[in-house]
Amino acid sequence: MLLNRSNSGKRWRVRPDGPGKVTGSMAYLTDFSAEGMLYGRVLRSPHPHARIKAIRTERAKELAGVHAVLTAADVPGLNRFGIAVPDQPVFCEDIVRYIGDAVAAVAADTAELAALALELIEVDYEVLEVVDDAERALAPESPQLHPQGNVLHRSAYCAGEAQRGFECCAHIVEETYCTPRQMHTYMETEGGLFVLGEDGRLNVYAPTQHGFMDRMQLSRILAMPQADIRIVSSPIGGSFGGKDELNVQPYGALLAIASNRPVKIHNSRWESVRAGLKRHPMKITMKTGVDGNGKLIAHQVSIIADTGPYATLGAEVLRFAVEHVIGPYRYEHIKVDGVSVFTNNGMSGEFRGFGGNQAIFALEGQLDRLAEKLGIDPWMLRLRNMRMPDDAGPFGQPIAATEGAQQVWQALQASRLWQERASAGMGSSFSATTSEEPWISIGYGAAFTMHGAGLGVGIPDPAGGRLTLAADGRIEAVFGYEEFGQGLLASLEQMLIEQFGFAASDIRMIIGDTDVVPDSGSTTASRATSMLWKSLQNLRPMFQAKALEAASRLLALPAAKLRLGEGGIWQQEEQMLLLTYADLAMYSKERISCTTRFHFPTSPVDRVGAHFLYTYSAVAVKISVNRLTGRVRLLDQYHAVAAGPVINPQGFLGQIEGGSSMALGFTLTEEAVMENGLYLTKNLDTYLVPTIAEHRGTVEVEPIEDLPDFDQYGPRGIGEVGSVTLAPAIASAVHAATGVRISKLPIQPELLQLQDIESFLQRR
Amino acid sequence: MSLDQYAAPAVHLMVNGQDMTIDVAPSKRLLAILREELGLTGPKRSCEIGRCGACIVLVDGAPINACLAMAYQCAGKHITTVEGVAQEGEGELDPVQRAFLEEGGFQCGYCTPGMVITVKALLSHTPDPNEDEIEEALSGNICRCTGYGGIKRAIKQAVKWRNGY
Ligand code: FES
Ligand code: FES
Repeated sequence: MLLNRSNSGKRWRVRPDGPGKVTGSMAYLTDFSAEGMLYGRVLRSPHPHARIKAIRTERAKELAGVHAVLTAADVPGLNRFGIAVPDQPVFCEDIVRYIGDAVAAVAADTAELAALALELIEVDYEVLEVVDDAERALAPESPQLHPQGNVLHRSAYCAGEAQRGFECCAHIVEETYCTPRQMHTYMETEGGLFVLGEDGRLNVYAPTQHGFMDRMQLSRILAMPQADIRIVSSPIGGSFGGKDELNVQPYGALLAIASNRPVKIHNSRWESVRAGLKRHPMKITMKTGVDGNGKLIAHQVSIIADTGPYATLGAEVLRFAVEHVIGPYRYEHIKVDGVSVFTNNGMSGEFRGFGGNQAIFALEGQLDRLAEKLGIDPWMLRLRNMRMPDDAGPFGQPIAATEGAQQVWQALQASRLWQERASAGMGSSFSATTSEEPWISIGYGAAFTMHGAGLGVGIPDPAGGRLTLAADGRIEAVFGYEEFGQGLLASLEQMLIEQFGFAASDIRMIIGDTDVVPDSGSTTASRATSMLWKSLQNLRPMFQAKALEAASRLLALPAAKLRLGEGGIWQQEEQMLLLTYADLAMYSKERISCTTRFHFPTSPVDRVGAHFLYTYSAVAVKISVNRLTGRVRLLDQYHAVAAGPVINPQGFLGQIEGGSSMALGFTLTEEAVMENGLYLTKNLDTYLVPTIAEHRGTVEVEPIEDLPDFDQYGPRGIGEVGSVTLAPAIASAVHAATGVRISKLPIQPELLQLQDIESFLQRR
Repeated sequence: MSLDQYAAPAVHLMVNGQDMTIDVAPSKRLLAILREELGLTGPKRSCEIGRCGACIVLVDGAPINACLAMAYQCAGKHITTVEGVAQEGEGELDPVQRAFLEEGGFQCGYCTPGMVITVKALLSHTPDPNEDEIEEALSGNICRCTGYGGIKRAIKQAVKWRNGY
């Protein structure tokens, strides 16, 4: 059944954070201000690679109204940050390695004064040779950016003997795929407010996807106990992975401490572009062979990822890509080699899809090309090679068995859009329609994926939360997760209502404040909804038992006769409210509070990063190509998503539609262009994210909720899967429409423009 | 030293129905006046070049990018920010806001103040817009989260309510 408001009935709910958002009354952390607040600014390197010879800050310090000017010498603790490996300087001491590298920071009475102070800081640089290409960075003669050289990480996987496998293949396809440096483009740029309390504790109000990780990193930088730092991190105006790593926090914190005044930093868009993370540009070369029946025999892949100057999660993204270039298919022989390379380009890091976007674009491109060689329908080739429910995962690891792959394949096959393709008689051959505009060609395409959730084997991935009956009778649900728009609060509220029987007015949700929430792990990797669900599964019997026992004592009725309900404790059979939560809280002697802690489920192997839970999706699209301009328009899209039960219908639909929109940009228009380590795209006039004009077509989302009876894992993540399957589907449709194979994103219109339009029109 | 201090003549404005006189440089951006001087943080700062629409407010009923408009250009004008929208409708929320709320026309919500204002302006002169008119009106409002699906559904719903069907 398609997901929409009318099919969802009462389960379609107004989000708890909605009223504040539509009225503008909800303050984001970058809306905060404080009395006596200063404005912080960061001086960043104008060069992608240079040696710092001298920094002179005297003139800036002398400027009236400037309260702090800081450089590397002023960092009391570790002058480095990085979630996985702390190798990024807070302030560079001797070498700058990209144009976002920080050299100094100031705090002043006004934003104008802070800008002026930056100009008064003099830095002498000796410009060094720029390493702006990941492949050339691997050459021995290339300048080496780190003591370890230019290789951040290598990741490989091998099963069978690919070389020998190719000898038995009837058809082999070799292709190199390139993907762009995509920018998250959250509408709220990085920023926040930093306040040193009278008690000496530091209060950080700044978006992040894992408050406790920020607290740990800041404590390392500031040489301050973690207990003295409070991170308030929600609500957030979009993140998509981009705010998981530290950004302005070290500067805001250091400036607030140095000036002993509240400090606000809010990046301009250009500063966000130059300093912020992007999706790793990848070059993926694949050689894939099938036998005469279309059975995949051998698959050989090499991946080169441009990770930029510092580690952040570059190694983890690469491992994810290595897993997802194998994907949902069975092969006899696999060989994958990946390398993540340091360059002087922009920082690459975590971004929705996490390396899957690039990998799946390439892998699905191979399937399409093989189908053409075999002369069979590309969608049928997927079926012929698809994993079976009990098959191992891409790395041969045990995974949670579901029929997701089959389910989404079937659903797409039966979808209105794919039926339309069949009746239009458009197989894989290219074709065109519309007599009024004969230069418009229409094509249909589809792609298929399995996308892992959670951080994977070998990485701490804790989860958990707390339910407490507060003194005022509210049921407090306390979790260390963040709300960046995905609808986490709405999902949590809906589960509490549907699974516990509470009314919305009984509930108080508390997230995003390290002083009061437990560490529930990070809000990344499509994991939070699954972990909320599992937490509530664990908490429900405990909370119910405690609450009903306490009520039973107060009411002198057996607990078995009572149940939790709206407003309080109800009599099991008769529809009668016996005791409000407020009275229960007031009169009960013992505190009703339960906690759960557990680890995200992982596969019992020692392959670092291997996943255990996957979401499956199949996407079909209909596009048009204007053969005069080369412009591609997305007319219609269908998404089948097998992710277990739909927790929040509005949120689910929004995640798939929104993820798909991001993928549309990745496919058609988005690229943060760099030349010699400098960004040529500095703002939203040249960096083109999809607008409403690109979204005229219809979108159908069909969730497949069935899980095997034995499944204990409930809802799978859907935050990323919407963003990974659209690009290859569009590439496939473009081929169907024009006969042109796409191997580089974003699609270059020039490739689709007809040189000889006259004879093309005559032929029609 | 601050540029603001050179000339700060009084600018007279009407913001969300309230008369006010503020001392600011004539070149000060309306967005900074609203957010920093008046504490109206509904209008958001994002691109500051007039591309994204997060900062849009009504100036004498027309949607204007507050990140570009300067104080002197707003002198004597009526400014409506998202905070002032609800007061103009009946009940608590404007129908446009209610439609965004019920249809899920937002996720992170950062674009929403600008979206609500833009849609309100659109419906004020085009009560039953077709797809081209919606595209035209909203082409200066970027939403990174929703893919515009919920926003389009919200506009449809708001049109229905407004027109009583
Ligand atoms: S901030 Fe004004 S248009 Fe983007
Ligand atoms: S809801 Fe996040 S930008 Fe529109």
